[in-house]
Order: sequence, then structure tokens, then C-alpha cells
Amino acid sequence: MKPLKIRFCGFGGQGIILSAITLGTALVTKKGYYAVQTQSYGSEARGGQCQAELIVADEEIKSPSSDEKDILVAMSQSALDRYIGDLKKGGILIIDSALVTEIPDVDAEIIQVPATETAVALGNRIAANMVLLGFVQQATGIISKDDLLSAVEDLVKPQFMDLNTRAIEAGIELAADVSLEVTV
Amino acid sequence: MASDGSNPQGRVLSGVHFMLGNYATAEGALAGGCDFFAGYPITPANEISERMSHRLPEVGGTFIQGEDELFSIYAVTGASLAGAKAMTATASAGFNHFQEGIGYAVAVEAPCVIVDVQRCRGENFATQADVMQMRWGTDGDYEIIVLAPSSIQELFDYTARAFNLAEEYRTPVIVMSETTISLMRERLDVPSADEIAVVNRRYTDLSPGEYKPFAAPEYGVPDFAPLGKGYNTIYSINPHDEEGSIDWDPDVYERMYDRLTGKIAKHRDVICQPRSYAVDDADIVLIAYGSEVRPALDAVEMAREDGIAAGLLKLDAVWPVPEEQIAAAMSKAKAVIAVEMNIGKYANEIERISAGRVPVHRCTKNRGIIHSPEEIYRSIKEVWK
Amino acid sequence: MSLKLYPRRESVRKDGLPHFFCPGCGCGQVLNFFLRACDELGMKTEDMTCIGGVGCAARIPIYLSTDALHGIHGRTMPWATGIKMTRPDMPVVVFAGDGDALSIGGNHFIHAARRNVDVTVIVVNNLNFAMTGGQVAPTTPLTATTMTTPYGSSEPPFDLCKMAETSGATYVSRWTTAHGIQAIRAIKTAMQHTGFSVVEIISQCPTHYGRYALGSGSPEKSVEWIKEQSIPRTRAEKMDPEETALNFVIGEFVNTQRPVFWGSTIYDGAEE
Repeated sequence: MKPLKIRFCGFGGQGIILSAITLGTALVTKKGYYAVQTQSYGSEARGGQCQAELIVADEEIKSPSSDEKDILVAMSQSALDRYIGDLKKGGILIIDSALVTEIPDVDAEIIQVPATETAVALGNRIAANMVLLGFVQQATGIISKDDLLSAVEDLVKPQFMDLNTRAIEAGIELAADVSLEVTV
Repeated sequence: MASDGSNPQGRVLSGVHFMLGNYATAEGALAGGCDFFAGYPITPANEISERMSHRLPEVGGTFIQGEDELFSIYAVTGASLAGAKAMTATASAGFNHFQEGIGYAVAVEAPCVIVDVQRCRGENFATQADVMQMRWGTDGDYEIIVLAPSSIQELFDYTARAFNLAEEYRTPVIVMSETTISLMRERLDVPSADEIAVVNRRYTDLSPGEYKPFAAPEYGVPDFAPLGKGYNTIYSINPHDEEGSIDWDPDVYERMYDRLTGKIAKHRDVICQPRSYAVDDADIVLIAYGSEVRPALDAVEMAREDGIAAGLLKLDAVWPVPEEQIAAAMSKAKAVIAVEMNIGKYANEIERISAGRVPVHRCTKNRGIIHSPEEIYRSIKEVWK
Repeated sequence: MSLKLYPRRESVRKDGLPHFFCPGCGCGQVLNFFLRACDELGMKTEDMTCIGGVGCAARIPIYLSTDALHGIHGRTMPWATGIKMTRPDMPVVVFAGDGDALSIGGNHFIHAARRNVDVTVIVVNNLNFAMTGGQVAPTTPLTATTMTTPYGSSEPPFDLCKMAETSGATYVSRWTTAHGIQAIRAIKTAMQHTGFSVVEIISQCPTHYGRYALGSGSPEKSVEWIKEQSIPRTRAEKMDPEETALNFVIGEFVNTQRPVFWGSTIYDGAEE
């Protein structure tokens, strides 16, 4: 099977890298897949541009870098502008509708998710990444909700578990009518 | 397991993980019996220290953040001579400072493990530029063992094995990590503790009167004696005879260096376990080590799909050079491509072994980014023309 | 006290002699002080690890019946720390020259003191780099002539004891080769002390410092000069510091207790 390549991008402090790690942890430790996660970020501790890449496959992954992504999840306009060129033709573009307003004219399935709005409504905008993860879980079905929540539990401090769970569930709700064809 | 053979709970985290490369390096060390670590902050090696500071006290080991890299390497050699399985880790700029202490560890045959997470000058970009410094960085004549992992699994496996090789050959062993894999997360399967072979410190059965600290069979390794028990061993970098006495006799010097270099060079067929991928019928053989193995394997597959008979020899130990295995891999090839992430350094070794019998091409990249499979495949196609 | 000529002769390596110290060098005296201290404490050098770096004083351990690390300049403290962490049961003694302890190894020295590593450091301060031919050292007195300060040294020297104290050493004293009994007593106290203990011994180097700085290669004259320059701490404390700037203030400066070092992180379940 061809590896699935997902990139999360935005700015530092949004939990971009945590999103990729969480999804990777779920796919590897709960479902037995192989995954590789890499990242790059600016030298700023917070606020710089940031991206994390996750490659998932049912066998060992060779090259840890890839030219074309199947899915791009964008949480800022500048990151989207920078990384949109790496999205493959006919790929999936998921954007946080509050943070990305200029939607590029590309050959891709474009989905706008009010992730930040939803997170703010839940009490903390920092949970927008989890809203998006919940959305990706439901829309793609690459991982079960239980496995995703279990991975979150492994990775985040217990005091954030409640907020994260609610954010993921909200994301799942937003994707209720969305079905994206993705295979690993 | 610890050097006393015990297996405190938590030393081996058996199971499937999605783990950061630097953490896997630390876990491999613990699985290999590490009970002493000294380090100094440097990116991108910090997560090794951080993990060790957390994990070593749990298993009864010692963690020290020293005042500089010289502290790290000498605290490690001191701890090693006192009986610890000791490790330090740094990145390229810090590796410069280690060189002095590596020379001492070589001369007194102090087993230890040294991790160098290679980075580009001052920045955390990918490179394999230290491959020659690992071999030739310290003063004097010596041989050394350098392992080059290509994945998170191998960071774990090779680091654990590095401890065993260090004990078997009483030598520093360098784990050649890279920015590429150290800051990457990947699947790691940690076996159960009893599935991990651990070589423990070999102590002499002889009494102080009979014991000679540096006497060993030809190209062999002497047994240790514990410190402070009347064996009165001098661990000096100066030339020493079998008794450990400092001795400037040219015969003593030559004999000492024959054994110090021979104990590794003569065992390279055991130390080096390169792996062949589709080499048997290959017209073009790629030779790669470390992270570069990964895109090279993709490129071999792309070539095979297009009907080009390409293969790959993946080196696990780059030093000592697996001369025979490299020679065998290129024996039927029409061309060899040395793949590496620097200006073309190990390629010189491959050219030396080829000695003009097979053309050696270079697919090198020195811009802080690992090769893509497409770039390596382009090299294959150019050679194929 | 009855002075035996070779106390604990069995503590000297059979194949170690003749030693390489110049005639009249203070290193042999310090070796003797150490063996007498061990003798009086009933301690055997065989039960210890002794460390020397590079330099004249660094040679002391290799003449002793002991396990020794030797031959690297300035790294005695990292070695000692690594050994002590691994073998807390075993006494570890460092013999360092002033170059080893304060020049190339100065950073390691202050950090070992700061950590209060449980080792004893005997610094043989002969005021210059002797083994390499008498060059200026960080301990060379201001204006002294050496092989690399032919017009006199422009560099103010370090006060090793003050530096050790400021850095956190828990036992610090200074004596000279002209004060054998006191030096032996200080070494005994240091060896019994738990924590980072430092004994500085001002020592004559007739071959280099004597000839270049003092104008005489006579060991007696060098020792006489050291003796004249020495002022007990109790007297020096009553004097203007500027008056004593060029003197060797001798005596015990620190003798205290605080937790010793067993690794950089506190761990409740830690084993010693």
C-alpha cells in the first residue's frame, strides 16, 4: 500500500506538532501501523511558522521525507500559502476557517472547519488542534475515536483531558456529514 | 540489564512505541545496561540527556550535567574504569571537544558509548559530515567502532549493541546519529528484556600478584580488575607495557598499538554486519549508511520498476570499514554509487576498495536536507545511461 | 613524632623508582607527606584510586601502589567525579599541579568544588609550568620572571584557596613544603573529610622557578624563600590585605559540611 502523507501547519503554540504526534501515536501504538513524524519550525519559541509531517503505512517506511502530501491541515494563512504547493493534485485541504480566509485556487477537496471558533466556544482556543484531529478522525476513518482518545490520554497531562475530549468530540460532530476517501 | 546482571523494573520498556529518535537512543542505552550518563546541553542532542536524567535515577544509575563536553567524556571514562557502563551524547560542535577524551579511552581501553547527533555548523540541519572525524578525530594511531543507525528502531538496537561491542573490545563505540532521525518520531518495537543480549564487564580471576592489566591474547582484549582492590593498575595514556608500566621502549610501543588496532581491525567481519538489498543481480550497487539508506532503498525500488537492476548495500558499522563485504557487493556490479549527506567522504573509502576495478560514482548532498528518493534515482539513471 | 625515612615503603611501586623528579623538587616531599598521612590514618593506598593529570605533581600517583589514572592534562576532576559516582565506597585522591588544577582544569576545579564531590585534591603549587620548562602559570607571582615572562609577569595570580572556598569546597587549607608536619595533618583531615577537600602545598621548583624567578637553582634557597613568604592565616587576618598580597597565607581556611554530590538530579529513591 502507498504510504499516506499528512502535513499539519500553522504557527508555533497551536499544537501543530502535537497533532501529528497524537495521530501517529494512535496509528502506531493502537492500530499497529508504521509511521514517521518529522517537523520544522522557526527559531522562535512561540509564534513562528511551524509544520509537522506524518507518513503512515502498513509496512516499514523508507524515505522519511516526501514531496507530495495527500492531506494538508492548515491553521494559519501564512503557513497555508507556504505549504500549499506540496499538496498533491486532487488531495485534501482542511483549513481552520477562522484563521485561513483566502482560499487558494487549487485542485483539491477543500474543507473549511470552524475549529478555532468551536474551541473558543468550548472555553479555550488552544484546543482547536484537537477539534481538527476529531474532524480528521471522523472524516477519514483512519483511526477509531477510542484509539484517538486513548493516544491523547497517553500524551497530554490529565488536567487537559476533559477539554481535549470535548474538543475531539466537537470535531467529530463537525465531520458528521463528511466522508473523505483515505486508505493506509 | 545493569552491569551487575540485574534487571531493575523499568529498564527495558517492552512494547510498541511511537518514539522520538533521541528518546530511543536513551532507551537503547538503558536496555544495553547503561548506568552512568554525563552530558552538556546542545541541540539537537538535548532529548537524550533529558530522557537519561529522568530514567537513569529510576534504575539506580547516575546522571550528571557537566560543565562542558570535556567533563562529559572524562567523567564517562572515569566511571567506565570504575565499572560503570557509561555513555555521553552531543552534537557535532560538542563532538569536537570529545576528541581528546576519546584518545584516552582508546589508550586505556575504557569501554564507553558516545553518541554524536550530527548537525550542520551551528544549525540543526541534516548532515553526515562527521563521518571522518569519528574515525580520525583524536591524536595517535587507533581503530574505532562507529555504528550508523538509519531509523528509530536502529537507534535503539544499535545503541544497545554499542554497549556490548564496547565491552567485548574494550573500546569507545560511537553511535553516529543524525538530525534527521534524532528529531523524528517513528515506530519502535522494544523486545522483552530477556530477548536483549547484554555483554557484561569481564573481570579477572587472577590474584593481584598474577594479574597483568594489559596482557591479552594476540589481537585480544585484557580482563579488567576492580579499582581499589590491590591490583594497582596505572591507566595512563602514555605507552605502557602489559604490566601497565609507562614504557617508551619502541618495541613496547609497537606491540601495544598492534594489539589496540588489531583487536578491532582483525574482527571487522564480526563487528560489521552490512545488509544487502537486491545486490546479487545488480548492475548498479548503491552503498549508503545512516538515514541515507532510506531514500536509497526507495530509489532502488523505483529503478527496479523501470527495469534497471539496482541494489543497495546498507552499512551498519562504517568503522572499521567492512572491506570484504564492500568488495563482494561490488564484485559483479558495473558501477557503484556512494550515497551520503556530505561533500563525499566515505566515498573515498569505497573508491579505495574498488581500486579502479568498478567505477565509483558519488551521489552526495550537502545542503542540510536528506536526499529525496527522486534525487538518488536521478543519479542511478545518469550512471545507467 | 618519630620520623621514619620511608614510611609505608610497601606503598611505593617496586618498579616505580627511580622517580623522575629533579633533585630538590618538592613533589617527592608531597609524596612523603601523603604516605605519612595515610600511615597515621591506617589507610592503604591499594584501597584507593589516585589520579594525576599531566605535570610534575601528576606523576606522584604512578609511584604509588595504587590504581591510578594518568596522562591527560586538566581533566582530573571529571575523572574523579565519574569514579566516585560509580564507587562511592572507595577513597579518590587527586594530585594536581597548579597548571592542571587552575589553568587548563580551572573550570572543572570550580565545578567539582561547587558540587562538593567527595574527593580529596592535593594541589602542588610550584608557581610555574615546570615539566614543560618553566613557563608562566596562573599562580606565578606578579612581576616574577619565567621562561615566557622574560621581563616579569604582568598577570596577577590566582589564590587557589580563595577560589576553592568561593566555589564551595568544604575543606580548604594551604601549607608549604617547609611546613611538613602541618601539611601532613592537613592531608589527614582532608582524607577524613566528607566532601570536596583541598590541600594546597606551595612547593619549590629549583630547576625552573628557582633559577629564573629567584635567581638560584639551590633547593634550600627556594624553600627558605617560601618559608620567608609564608604568613599564618591568623596573623594575615590582622594585616592590611595589600601588605600580604605577595605572601603565601598558610593555615586552614574552610572546614564545614554540606550535602555531597551524587548526581545532578534529586531522586527520592536514589541509591548511594
